[in-house]
Amino acid sequence: MSPGLRRLYVPRSARVEADEGGRPTTVDGAPVEAVREEWVVEDRWWTPHPLGRHYFELALADGRNLVVFRSIASGRWYRQRG
Amino acid sequence: MAGRAPYVELHAHSAFSFLDGASTPRELARTAAELGHTAFALTDHDGVWGSMEFVGACKELEDCGEGELRAITGAELTVELSEAQSAAPYAHLALLVEDASGYRNLCRLLTAAHAHTRDGAQRSGGQPSVTLEQVEEHAAGLVCLSGCAGAGMLAAAWERGDAAGGARAARRLLGAFGRERFRIELQRPFWRRDRARNRWLAGLAGRLGVPAVATGNVHSHGGRERARLQDALVAIRLGMTLEESEPLRRGNRSSTLASPRKMAERFADHPDAVAETLRLAERLEFDLSRELGYRYPREEDPGADRELAELCRTLLASRYPARSPHRPEAEAQLEKELATIRALGLSGFFLLHHDLLELAREVALEVRGRDSARAALPPGRGRGSSVSSVVCYLTGLSHIDPIANNLNSSRFLNEEVGKTVGATMPDIDLDFPRDIREALIPRVHERYGVDRSALVAAFPTYRPRGAVRDLGKALGLPQEEIEKVAGMVGFHERRGEIAKDVLAAIGPERVASPRWQALLSLCKEMMGLPRHPSQHSGGMVISTRPLIDVCPVVPTAMEGRQIVQWDKDSCNDAGFLKIDLLGLGMLSAVERCVEEVGRTRGESLDLSRIPYDDERTFESIRAAETTGVFQIESRAQMSMLPRTRPETLDDLTVQVALVRPGPIQGGAVHPYIERLKQRRADPEGFEAPCEHPLLAPVLRDTLGTIVFQEQVIEVAIALAGFSAAAADSLRRAMSRKRSAEAMRGHHDRFVAGAGSKGVPVAVAERVWEQIQGFSGFGFPKAHSAAFGLLAYQSAWLRIHRAPEFLCGLLNEQPMGFYPPDALVHEAQRRGVQVVGPDANRSRVLCHVEPIEGELSVRIGLGYVKGVRSEEMEGLLAERERSGDYAGVADLASRSGTGRDGLERLAWAGALDDLIQHRRRAESVSICHGFGPSAPAPGSAAGWVGRREALWEAGGAGIGEGVQMALPLEPPRPPQLKPLSDWERLIADYRSFGITLDAHPLGLMRDDLEQGIRSSAELEREENGATVAVAGFVVARQRPQTANGVVFMLLEDELGTVNLVVPPPVYERCRAAVRAAPLVRAGGRLERHEGTTNVVVSAVAELSIPKDSAQREHGADGAPGQPSSARPAKPRKRGASRQPLREHAVAELRAVAPDAHSWGRRR
Repeated sequence: MSPGLRRLYVPRSARVEADEGGRPTTVDGAPVEAVREEWVVEDRWWTPHPLGRHYFELALADGRNLVVFRSIASGRWYRQRG
Repeated sequence: MAGRAPYVELHAHSAFSFLDGASTPRELARTAAELGHTAFALTDHDGVWGSMEFVGACKELEDCGEGELRAITGAELTVELSEAQSAAPYAHLALLVEDASGYRNLCRLLTAAHAHTRDGAQRSGGQPSVTLEQVEEHAAGLVCLSGCAGAGMLAAAWERGDAAGGARAARRLLGAFGRERFRIELQRPFWRRDRARNRWLAGLAGRLGVPAVATGNVHSHGGRERARLQDALVAIRLGMTLEESEPLRRGNRSSTLASPRKMAERFADHPDAVAETLRLAERLEFDLSRELGYRYPREEDPGADRELAELCRTLLASRYPARSPHRPEAEAQLEKELATIRALGLSGFFLLHHDLLELAREVALEVRGRDSARAALPPGRGRGSSVSSVVCYLTGLSHIDPIANNLNSSRFLNEEVGKTVGATMPDIDLDFPRDIREALIPRVHERYGVDRSALVAAFPTYRPRGAVRDLGKALGLPQEEIEKVAGMVGFHERRGEIAKDVLAAIGPERVASPRWQALLSLCKEMMGLPRHPSQHSGGMVISTRPLIDVCPVVPTAMEGRQIVQWDKDSCNDAGFLKIDLLGLGMLSAVERCVEEVGRTRGESLDLSRIPYDDERTFESIRAAETTGVFQIESRAQMSMLPRTRPETLDDLTVQVALVRPGPIQGGAVHPYIERLKQRRADPEGFEAPCEHPLLAPVLRDTLGTIVFQEQVIEVAIALAGFSAAAADSLRRAMSRKRSAEAMRGHHDRFVAGAGSKGVPVAVAERVWEQIQGFSGFGFPKAHSAAFGLLAYQSAWLRIHRAPEFLCGLLNEQPMGFYPPDALVHEAQRRGVQVVGPDANRSRVLCHVEPIEGELSVRIGLGYVKGVRSEEMEGLLAERERSGDYAGVADLASRSGTGRDGLERLAWAGALDDLIQHRRRAESVSICHGFGPSAPAPGSAAGWVGRREALWEAGGAGIGEGVQMALPLEPPRPPQLKPLSDWERLIADYRSFGITLDAHPLGLMRDDLEQGIRSSAELEREENGATVAVAGFVVARQRPQTANGVVFMLLEDELGTVNLVVPPPVYERCRAAVRAAPLVRAGGRLERHEGTTNVVVSAVAELSIPKDSAQREHGADGAPGQPSSARPAKPRKRGASRQPLREHAVAELRAVAPDAHSWGRRR
């Protein structure tokens, strides 16, 4: 990628704590007020870069809305613009 | 029962939601039971194609003690929306059957949905759909769910932002179905707006006062690969790649069948919607396997018994006159059969078949014409076990005298068997020539009513080649690679072998790519799934009440035909009477032959009166010279015939039945042949050995072996004391796919029953092994007698009316074991003259004409590839009207054939004679001093003709659909080089798929590496010699019964060579064995009891050694100088010629006709 270009919406690593059902309870230390939506994307399995993400659209206790996802392959959490 | 699990699945798709669902009904039923489901609704898109199979699978689970799953019948219906209703054209509703009236309404709605799907000129399948008004009219007895999350009538409206429109639609549905039978459907596909959508839907349900219900919209039964396959199926259905179809696919694996507990958890926000699944399921008690109210015509006719008896007794007098030695036995047998028919209430069944045959007689007369030589032939012939019945013989449903042929009808008609629970009706199968069958089917619709008759459906399933092509496209793999692999996997096979084929075709590096790996894993999952509905080869259902009340009826791609949504097994399970009106290619070929004999020789040939002991015919059969002969032309039959040495029609009856998977796997073949030899050596002293004396009377005629299907029944009765009904149940268990458990039960009863008769366990087990090996894949004796007769008749015609017989075969292709090219070459070797297409001589079909006093086969213009049928018809009509064409320009102007058509005809040599005609005309002028002299037809210069014809076609022809008022005389051609033998051969193959002159191997012979033997030279080699051979691959066969051995048939200029490819050689050389049109093989010669095989140690694609190409060669590297005459015989070695270059061979490979391939399917 040339120095003048940058990727949009690149997922950024997030520190997420989740309950037994796998639902986030805190994101980067901020408590989760509610899970507004939850969805799963499993695609591109026929390519060298398969996609497997469990998304959550969250309302945080501090009033912010946020989308995070857990990589199904690695179990790591990321945040992404909604 | 439904109360135990917290959730019932009420919305699921099987693979009968074609190219959407990824699991069979059986897989869904089994997995659902394993996961703890107690009831389950199958709701395929716009059909109940798989419903009866699903019901059967659920019952089977219960019968085998593997779980209890109650089947709920339903469908997801596509509703066409008016513009006022919605911006989207279609929406879905799921309909579940509550009672019989609901089932009737569902069938009517589904019939209506498909009624206009074939309206276009091409009759290609359109989107089935009904209007909302139609749904409202047929709401009784149905429960309506509001549809899926993506395309459901309410959810889709909400997704489009038209919540008001969704609410309006909901109120209309509520109005039609009422609060009791309308439910708002909540789904959780794990899409981004699930919660919001379900909140809206649940709120709407609350406002309308109807319950919401949770559903899973299942599309596969389990496993990651099936979910992926579902993605790929959607891409295939849409004609897109996986990338392109991304927005239209499900996006994740949530449509995989889940346990009731997990589903309840998934809808934790809507516990009432989960509980509603149970309440609803309890109400949906309709059972598809119960009485549907089907009746066939005359089923309840009170006068049928008397009418049938009178008909048969009248006909008996003519079939068995008083002087007939069989009369007393025939009378006794008739009365016995009539009593059984009365007891089983089947008189109407026989009368219906008789009525159909009379209808076929009318149709046959119309199709054949009253003056045709075929007019004397019966309209069709019986096949199957019904041929054993004297009632069938008398009423014309069979052509074989069951008394004279000692056929036992107890397998066909048995009172005890007929009265058992679940017994099916006897099968009467009728074979017709294809043209008569084509005309008969619409006439049956006319006679019994379009709403009361339909063909039975069939479901072509995915095989390796189709799977590779469809998946390859969806995965975006290069077309070239896909075709290379598809060419390799064309016939066979075990699932795991596709990987080896792919490896052999494209190499390890490509195979390792993720896309090819994905294809390999999905191929395994895809095998056996139905791809689309089709029509059964001949099964028809006729009903007294409208069929659309008992099963949906849909139009097919062929005009005038319609099918019920069930296949033959489902129809059988529903108690439908299926009448088989089958088209038999050989019957058509034989009739064409008879017609041609009448036309060319003025002879009215009655096949029932030909000598049935003709020595020349039997000699040819014993010598395995049976290419093109019905049933005994395969390699396996040919290798058997010199050993079994048939001498009578009875011998042929056994012969036809012997080479079947049943007798082969049951271990009957070799003992039978050995015992035949012993009996021939000592006819008086021979006694057939049997496993047990109890079997002697049953197996005496087949020398102690099980050859015929009914012998299984007889063995079970004789050795293990089975009742007739139990033995028939064993026979049916063997012939059905879903029977492993049932077979285990029969085994236990068999061994125990034999034990009680004093038969040692070891003997009982050995006999059981033979029965199990037989597995139902065998012919009943009656069927073999019918086929044996046709085998003899075709063999007799091949010997005594050779040109007409070849002509009949060529006109009925595709059929049989050999491609047309091989049929022609074999006939030429027997001295039959075959001449190429000719615009002034040929018809559309091949015909026989005298040439220089010899009856010869003229190839029809229909064989010329790419010429449009209307052009051909126009060409012939104009020739009929105004006489022969005087030249290419005359042809172009009078017939309207376009340039492309003319050029194709020219390449095929069909215009050669027009050039000769012009040249002859010019030569007359020359005599008067005007031009060059004309060559004699077929002379060396004659081969310039094809090039000149091409030149003239280019000049005289114009575009399609434009006809010149006057001939456009093309300029005279320059001095053109004649086509060489090789060029002509390539042109022949490319343009009509047959070469009539030099054989490719004859032209290549001098360039082949040293030591390669011709087929004729092979006959002089010692048994056990190491040999090398080369040839054109005519047929490949990998029979299921041969443990992986592949049989190949090669053809060279002098004959054919049998190759036997053992599995290790096959593994090593699979690319050549599978796909190469020309091969070279080395191995050991084996000569045994009249058959010669080469057991190969290596097979490779035939190529030309480099040193040959380096020798003197022509400008184009193609072999063969123009010969002085059409070489009917191969070129002699050492004749002056130019050597062959590899590119010329590559050209031949590209145009070579496909070999016929048979073998293991799954």
